[in-house]
Amino acid sequence: MDLFSNLALGFSTATSLENLFFCLIGVLLGTLIGVLPGIGATATIAMLLPITFQLEPVSSLIMLAGIYYGAQYGGSTTAILINMPGESSSAVTAIDGYQMARKGKAGAALAIAAIGSFFAGTVSTFLVAIFAPPLTQIALQFGAAEYFSLMVVGLVSSIALAHGSIVKALAMVALGLLLGLVGTDIYTGTPRFTLGIREYADGLNFVAVAVGVFGIAEILRNLESEKTRSVLMSKVSGLLPSKEDFRAMIAPVLRGTVIGSILGILPGGGAILAAFASYTVEKKVSKHPEEFGHGAVAGVAGPESANNAGAQTSFIPLLTLGIPANPVMALMVGAMIIQGIVPGPNVATEQPALFWGIIASMWIGNLMLVVLNLPLIGLWVKLLTIPYYVLFPIIMAFCAIGVYSVNSNVYDLYSVAFFGLIGYVLSKLRCEPAPLLLGFVLGPLLEENLRRAMILSRGDPSTFVTRPISAALLFFAALVLVIVFLPSVKKKREEVFVEED
Amino acid sequence: MNSLKVDTTNLICGLLLIATGLFFALESLDLELGTALRMGPGYFPFILACVLILLGGIVLGQAVRVQGEPIGAIAWRGMVFILPAPIIFGLTVRGLGFVPAVFICALVAAFASQRMKPLTAVALSAALTVFSLLVFSYGLGLPFRTFGPWLGF
Amino acid sequence: MKILNAILGATALAALSLVSTVANAAGFPERQITMIVPFAAGGPTDTVARLVAEAMSKDLGQQVIVENVGGAGGTLGAARVANAEKDGYTILLHHIGMATSNTLYRKLPYKTLEAFDYIGLVTDVPMTLLARKDMPADDLKGLVEYAKANKDKVTVANAGIGAASHLCGMLFMSSIQTALVTVPYKGTGPAMTDLLGGQVDIMCDQTTNTTKQIQGKTVKAYAVTSPKRLDVLKDLPTVKEAGLPQMEVGIWHGMYAPKGAPKEAIDKLNKALKVALKDTNVGARFAELGTTPSPDADATPEALKAKLEGEIARWKPVIEAAGQYAD
Repeated sequence: MDLFSNLALGFSTATSLENLFFCLIGVLLGTLIGVLPGIGATATIAMLLPITFQLEPVSSLIMLAGIYYGAQYGGSTTAILINMPGESSSAVTAIDGYQMARKGKAGAALAIAAIGSFFAGTVSTFLVAIFAPPLTQIALQFGAAEYFSLMVVGLVSSIALAHGSIVKALAMVALGLLLGLVGTDIYTGTPRFTLGIREYADGLNFVAVAVGVFGIAEILRNLESEKTRSVLMSKVSGLLPSKEDFRAMIAPVLRGTVIGSILGILPGGGAILAAFASYTVEKKVSKHPEEFGHGAVAGVAGPESANNAGAQTSFIPLLTLGIPANPVMALMVGAMIIQGIVPGPNVATEQPALFWGIIASMWIGNLMLVVLNLPLIGLWVKLLTIPYYVLFPIIMAFCAIGVYSVNSNVYDLYSVAFFGLIGYVLSKLRCEPAPLLLGFVLGPLLEENLRRAMILSRGDPSTFVTRPISAALLFFAALVLVIVFLPSVKKKREEVFVEED
Repeated sequence: MNSLKVDTTNLICGLLLIATGLFFALESLDLELGTALRMGPGYFPFILACVLILLGGIVLGQAVRVQGEPIGAIAWRGMVFILPAPIIFGLTVRGLGFVPAVFICALVAAFASQRMKPLTAVALSAALTVFSLLVFSYGLGLPFRTFGPWLGF
Repeated sequence: MKILNAILGATALAALSLVSTVANAAGFPERQITMIVPFAAGGPTDTVARLVAEAMSKDLGQQVIVENVGGAGGTLGAARVANAEKDGYTILLHHIGMATSNTLYRKLPYKTLEAFDYIGLVTDVPMTLLARKDMPADDLKGLVEYAKANKDKVTVANAGIGAASHLCGMLFMSSIQTALVTVPYKGTGPAMTDLLGGQVDIMCDQTTNTTKQIQGKTVKAYAVTSPKRLDVLKDLPTVKEAGLPQMEVGIWHGMYAPKGAPKEAIDKLNKALKVALKDTNVGARFAELGTTPSPDADATPEALKAKLEGEIARWKPVIEAAGQYAD
């Protein structure tokens, strides 16, 4: 097998002093910028991209990959510490991670996230190395019908995201789906729900919505009763996870890795489901589902692992097909082209040192992240001791800069304010933001693939059940629905007169 | 008192959801609906809007059946200062430039808290502006104008 | 040494922009110039812009920085430049969409032919006509016959309204006078994925996106829309050779300034553009993308003006025949 010689080539490329250095710089910069509130992985990479243009191709891509992991990790850090997710995946981490932080377990949550990510990153790096070509072939079997059915599975699973009323969670998903449809309809070019504002022709900005409904709503909640109670969290108890925490995270990390690796391969938006799917699975298999939403270790460990595994395997379509799976990967393609490497199906044979060097550097980058971040946890946790009234002007300024830097669109800033208001109102009405965000990312995918499937099948709806993968996914969705609803229906009878919380 | 027990939270929530659903439904009707087999741009959103109205109705129904917790304090001061901050940044970043925009944005947000003293707010905003200028403009080379045309540059 | 250089390159950007080159005393440019790209960072147009901007900086003695103002098919970025100060410090690099948006958008916030001063043509990226790997037809003639015979079944993918692949697909259908089933996607990536997976039949897109797939034989290529064969794809006939001369088309890129910019600025920018287009690095990178920098004769305001006017006239009937608008 050439796998070993290939990996050896990769590691010898990636461990050259120069490349190690750029990997480190990338991871460091990615973490530092990504950790600024309101600045997620996409914004971080867009900001740091031009810096990499000056370098050698291999170094530049290794640095960029480092920025990507670093930014993701940094994004999770802000999600945990101040409930400010910058990506759809860290929105899931925010649910239980922030609650852990409020209970004084911020250090443990951060360590769990780091260790889970590292494990998932290691496993999926080897998956990429060994199985990239065959996995690509499977991914190519996914047409519009399959993606639609996959999104249905995601939608059905979203019910488990709620820890309060299921009806409200469903309403939030529906609202999110509708908000996701704002913008130009790609099939007819008709602008929808844009209120005649051209700046919204490409839809609402994800970061603006996420920062609004999570972060700003949280700031406002903390401000509402300043006089009567202190908003500070409980005292920080220990920086590292306890023995029980470790025991509680093993299984979720393993499951999250599997889920993330599989979904990450699908170029049509599979990776965004990874964290949500993992959360759902953990809540279902947990012996204490009531802990979810109140600081469950599994609710941080699973999604973070799934997210990182998905991030790694989403390199597979890029490296084997030359096709970017998400906006971040599209930025990577841009970087490659500027370096004079046009990505395509032959990158592995034409540029073996580059191909395997990047794969090896993925693992090295993840290792660096852990080594770098475990000691940094103490520092991050200290940030929580900054008085809140000092912290939030800083948060607001970085949010504004981060959101504006992506597309220089001032209307995105107006969205931040609008969704901050919406998020606050919703939180006052005991509606949760996570299902809304899931709906928001799924909305366009769901509709797009539904309509595309119907076009491709010439208007024959049986396409969803006659295509085997699609049929299997729909069957799975039905199964999830049954599992979710049966126990709750039973419970409902007993709880008719109890408040729905 | 034999008045109905009403959960204000769910009452408002249900009404808001229905109103939002109605807005989207009406907007969708302006678009071409198409049929289930040949969907137009309005079809999918119209279905979703109807689902939202339905769910709003259920929440409304629940409001009458159970007594909930009160809504609690509302962060009026927070809303007045926090929400305009990004808007002000948006309105000034191209005209006044990056430095004044960051400064004003942070300054406005700072006054959302009653504990913030004016002098601290100014100092904090100034420090933040310098930091942002160094990191984003000089460090990362983002294409922001430091001072904009409104200031005669 | 190499490492040291690279370290400097990566970390000393701050210093660089602080201690920017002392401007030559002859007026324009006294400070950095912003080049607006009306598309997201990392896309093909952004790539062209960054390569050219870097080369222009050397000649102008001032940084030309790229700002991505994406959205609404490039019209947001164009509108930004149309309303910018008329001093030559804000310029636009836009592609063929500058001409097609004039018809695709019925409510443009600027008048395409009146709002801009011209600097010059930058490059003309050819397109390639592709089909899925197992398409039975072996040449363009066969493909056209196949399409006409199966017009209710053959699907044509594109990357969204106004995208290069959308324009080229429309042109293909109007050239063979047959309406096929159009399948829009959000971006080239997903459209190409479905072509590779055989979910759709035909796509026509810029060489930037297709060259490597053709070389890797993951798709079947039928023709290139340039007047001459490409060096990187020597075996691929031109549309003229293959019998569809009306499909000769390119994704041309032009550089503009807001109307009313000082003549001195336009002249200097034009000169810098010409120098940049002769830069060896720019030439080499363009070649890898399957394109060449515009020759001196085309890199002029007059040539760009003529091109824009001609292309608006050319695309109007094609777009109107398709009956699809973006607003």
